[in-house]
Amino acid sequence: MIRADKLPHLPERFPVACQWEITCRCNLRCVMCYTDCYNRPEFVRQELTTPEILRIMDELAEAGTLELCLTGGEPMARTDFFDIYEHAARNGFLVTVFTNGTLMTETHADRFAALPPHRIEISLHGATQETFERITQGKGSHDRCLNAVRLLLDRHIPLVLKTTAMTLNQNEVLAIKRYVASLGSVRYKLGEDMRPELDGGCGPFHYALSNQDLTVLNQQDDDLWAESCKQQSEDPPPCRSGMHRFHIDAYGRLQLCSGNRTRSYDLRAGSFREGFFEALPTFACQWKAPVVSEKIQPTVHHA
Amino acid sequence: MNPATIYSKNPDFVQRDVAGECILVPIRRTLTDAKSIFVLNDTGAALWNRIDGTRPIHEIASEFAEEYDVAAEQLSQDFETLLADLLSIHAIEEVAVAHDPS
Repeated sequence: MIRADKLPHLPERFPVACQWEITCRCNLRCVMCYTDCYNRPEFVRQELTTPEILRIMDELAEAGTLELCLTGGEPMARTDFFDIYEHAARNGFLVTVFTNGTLMTETHADRFAALPPHRIEISLHGATQETFERITQGKGSHDRCLNAVRLLLDRHIPLVLKTTAMTLNQNEVLAIKRYVASLGSVRYKLGEDMRPELDGGCGPFHYALSNQDLTVLNQQDDDLWAESCKQQSEDPPPCRSGMHRFHIDAYGRLQLCSGNRTRSYDLRAGSFREGFFEALPTFACQWKAPVVSEKIQPTVHHA
Repeated sequence: MNPATIYSKNPDFVQRDVAGECILVPIRRTLTDAKSIFVLNDTGAALWNRIDGTRPIHEIASEFAEEYDVAAEQLSQDFETLLADLLSIHAIEEVAVAHDPS
């Protein structure tokens, strides 16, 4: 018997890790959010129901998926969130939850503690209440977010805090990082990429930092600068989405990854196995090497 | 290893079959094992699948020996190691020692 944190051997193509955007609902309106355009009742009504999610999740389990990331929107904004989360945890998925933390209560934290996740990642976009709430546009969200951090740390839940660097918080990133360091066991991630909204809107880019601003920011911290230098010194590896990882959106559409939704396979109408093994290999991705594998055909073009 | 011992599985360990590997996932893990899964080899998976809380280990071993071409001594050693491993992570627990009908 081997103790491991991930599988030692995997076939070249196998659906081991799923990122599942279970809703575009959110209680906040972060200025750089790419899903908020679908945080409206007419779209929410089209999202997967609880039975649909559990049925698809069972198909993932049967196919061998082990790592499951529940994200949104704000996943905890779904009233059935813990039905979904606990079904996943009880069925042996290694569950990661991406959340803004602001809906977390003592009861929720206790439920996480009873069936602990692999980790929880909370977005912390400002060190001060003013900056945090200018980004989230949610009054009181800063205090509620920090309260979630405390609730989860008190229960020894593995935690990651993360920030998207942008014009509104560039002067607070180092303070956020110091705060995270003061928490001891909590990891920190800084993201630099903005993405267009799912409906094609460019709102998030209004808050993007220039390359020069990013350089100035990263140069102020040894860790950030080392990571920045490392990334700039290496050619990005060919994209491997669809090989071991895949994405499901709030409407049950299977896609190569969150950033490439050009083509989808409808899991409401077909099986996960057919979607992963037959449909995904035909989906195009401009970031893939010309021939990454004979098991996926990234150069296929489609209308 | 007492061959008359009966073991049961801890329901807080979920078996997952992933890419041909038999994995045990502790679903009520603590921070220290939060990132741990346990990968069983073929013998370990076969043993795990036969532990049912009712049959003594010698009965499981006999069944196993009939099904697979393995020397009794080797099988005994493998079982001893596997049972110790499973006990150490609390994936199984001893429920009883069967009476010897002889």
